[in-house]
Amino acid sequence: MKVNLNDLAELLRSVEKPARYIGGEFGGKVTENSPFYFCACFPDLYEVGMSNLGIKIVAESFKKKGYAADYCYTPYKDFGEGLKKLNVPLYSLSLKKPLGEFDMLGFSMQYELSYTNMLYMLDLAGIPLLRKDRTGKKYPLVVIGGPCAVNPEPLADFVDIVFIGDGERSDADVAELYLECGGATEEFFARASEMDGVYVPALTKVNYNPDGTVAGFEGVTRVKKALITDLENAVFPRTQCVPNCESVFDRSVIEVMRGCYRGCRFCQAGFIYRPVRKRSVQTLTEQACALISSTGYSEISLNSLSTGDYPHLRELIRSLKSALPEGVTLALPSLRVDSFDKEFAQDARKISLTFAPEAGTQRLRDVINKDVTEEEILRAANSAFDGGYSAVKLYFMLGLPTETDEDLRGIRHICDIIKRAYGAKSRQKPLRISVSVSTFIPKPFTPFQWEAQASEQEVVRKQKLLREELFIKGVSLSTSDYFTSLLEAVLARGDRRLGAAILCAYKKGCILDGWLNDFNKDGWREAFAECGIDPAFYTREFGENEILPWSFIDTGVTQKYLLSERKRAYSAKVTGSCAKKCNGCGLQKNCDAAQNQGVQSI
Amino acid sequence: MIAFKYSKCDGAEYLSHLDLLRHIYRTFRRAGIRVAMSEGFHAHARIFLNNPLPVGVKSVAEYGSADCDFAGDFKAAFNEFSPEGVKCLAYEITATNPNFANSVEKCLYFTSGIQPFDTDLILNEKSIVITDLRNRQIDIRPRIHSLEFKDGGLLFTAGCSSENLRPDMFCDYLAERFGGKRTEIIKLASYGKGVF
Repeated sequence: MKVNLNDLAELLRSVEKPARYIGGEFGGKVTENSPFYFCACFPDLYEVGMSNLGIKIVAESFKKKGYAADYCYTPYKDFGEGLKKLNVPLYSLSLKKPLGEFDMLGFSMQYELSYTNMLYMLDLAGIPLLRKDRTGKKYPLVVIGGPCAVNPEPLADFVDIVFIGDGERSDADVAELYLECGGATEEFFARASEMDGVYVPALTKVNYNPDGTVAGFEGVTRVKKALITDLENAVFPRTQCVPNCESVFDRSVIEVMRGCYRGCRFCQAGFIYRPVRKRSVQTLTEQACALISSTGYSEISLNSLSTGDYPHLRELIRSLKSALPEGVTLALPSLRVDSFDKEFAQDARKISLTFAPEAGTQRLRDVINKDVTEEEILRAANSAFDGGYSAVKLYFMLGLPTETDEDLRGIRHICDIIKRAYGAKSRQKPLRISVSVSTFIPKPFTPFQWEAQASEQEVVRKQKLLREELFIKGVSLSTSDYFTSLLEAVLARGDRRLGAAILCAYKKGCILDGWLNDFNKDGWREAFAECGIDPAFYTREFGENEILPWSFIDTGVTQKYLLSERKRAYSAKVTGSCAKKCNGCGLQKNCDAAQNQGVQSI
Repeated sequence: MIAFKYSKCDGAEYLSHLDLLRHIYRTFRRAGIRVAMSEGFHAHARIFLNNPLPVGVKSVAEYGSADCDFAGDFKAAFNEFSPEGVKCLAYEITATNPNFANSVEKCLYFTSGIQPFDTDLILNEKSIVITDLRNRQIDIRPRIHSLEFKDGGLLFTAGCSSENLRPDMFCDYLAERFGGKRTEIIKLASYGKGVF
């Protein structure tokens, strides 16, 4: 069956941005008559999903095997409700095929607030939400991946398979196994669960202690993440579909590196994407040229967790500038202040530059292992001002372990020194500083995974203090909503029992929670109450000897290393970049940096 | 300068005008056709389209022009690299910019679903005042140039450019006055100086 857009004409005319739902993007054509149909589903709006590189890489890995790979995004409520009224199932963009007719729906879980969006998409497709309700009839395999999949337990009741680690390593292999086994048979799940990076929730049972903590796991009790060791030769889409309407990041993207050398102790990505893997200047230049020519974009983004740490960045920029057509600009979205250089920034639009000191004082920056000094922040700001910038965005966190009011006042101090630096340049245009302070959320697989999240009272008090401190000319402050952060923390560190609350919240209309206008706090509060779940249980400090809901997943970084980093945090000791010295996180065997330093595998 | 006639249908009717402009610019880039840039502070490609079509209205008579030198088969080059539904139908090399946003004076549309009525009831009126999307009272009668039921639908010619009449708004007015409900609207032709 194919959904006919003409049947949706009236609906399309009545909704906001109908271009989100029509498909036909240039470069997005999917060939039919495939042995396996995969749909990369992104549980957020089109403009957000279209900017995501991960799903494009995963889709490419399916195409390489000769399988069809299409896309689908969460429709906004106006279109979703319209589909329901017309009794038309949610469909993929290129083939216009109802999601229920695919072999596999792969949801990329990038952030916790998108969990209910996945349920919304399944519901709109007429697919039962709970795995147990999908037996006895042919439904697509519902699978998830992405960073949130490292603790998949809150979603365990909804999904058939969880992909942990690098998606292009194992996802399409599972499709091959599916065909070999003749579908989603017992044999298929048993054999899939033996593959790296594949977790089958139905094959793992969780037991709980009377106090609610995890007592242990039965069945499959160890799942190792999938790892691409050779990024240079890994799958990468040399052509990417160009969105119909402007997306959040409307440009071509190349992935310079995966992983980060720094190990900031709050940063989940810095730990779960280890070890650092790089592409060569030549490959990146070829990919960039291919993308610019196939998409028609005039901007290319050099993505990674910390592009400034790419050892051949100058060479890469030179190579790109000589190889790319005239007028193509380079965007370097993840530059640390200590790696910022005028040369790197000169191509960007000279409007605003973003730095993330994360904490106001050196002491707290040492606690979180943000190895950046005040001098480096100042040097970067001066460099930016010399390069023509007149606005700076500064990102900080609030509620970090060991944080005091002095640390928060340090944010004011940083604003003051930046203002002074700008004043010394005698520029006509006034300086604008935008300070964004988000609430710290302890995340699995980080040294701070055991930490408590700050209470509402504490967060509100600290936000008030900041508002008073930063009530100065030219500085604007934005803070995050407490309940949003609480929900993120609960879902990030939740266990399987949270599935009931997610389902209940969804039924109460909680969708698109990441969009503040649509965030239904009351729905979530009621859902927790009705399911007998106390959110405080998940935001408390976890015991170091406690079995964590995600303990059965092996990302390669050892528990011992995370604990030692936690101890170093409390002594405000910085652990330097692993590009300079291997710190023995557990992934030495697969880490080029460790091997180059002659570190023996453990 | 290249002047081109193109379609906006097969789903592309739901693209906004700004998105369409971006798509056309990227089509030129993909096709390797260099377009001159403006010399202002925010340089932009010198591509000019006729008046925006309301989102949801199809067309096989859109016009645009681009400041470029291209010696090859422009239609083939454009169509190979354009998104679905945005296809070049014809083109001409021109010495100056035809400026279709001003030169297209009226357009012929076809719609179906409106209850048949005596078109003289409209054509004999001296003035028809309706409220537009910005809540302004406007007399649309001078902007209606022809009106007839044909081939199972309504064929009408409405003003464009400075005397623009939104075809969707006009159809909604007719449906409200005479009954029925418009389904799709398609622009079949554009008339004015430089149009081919």
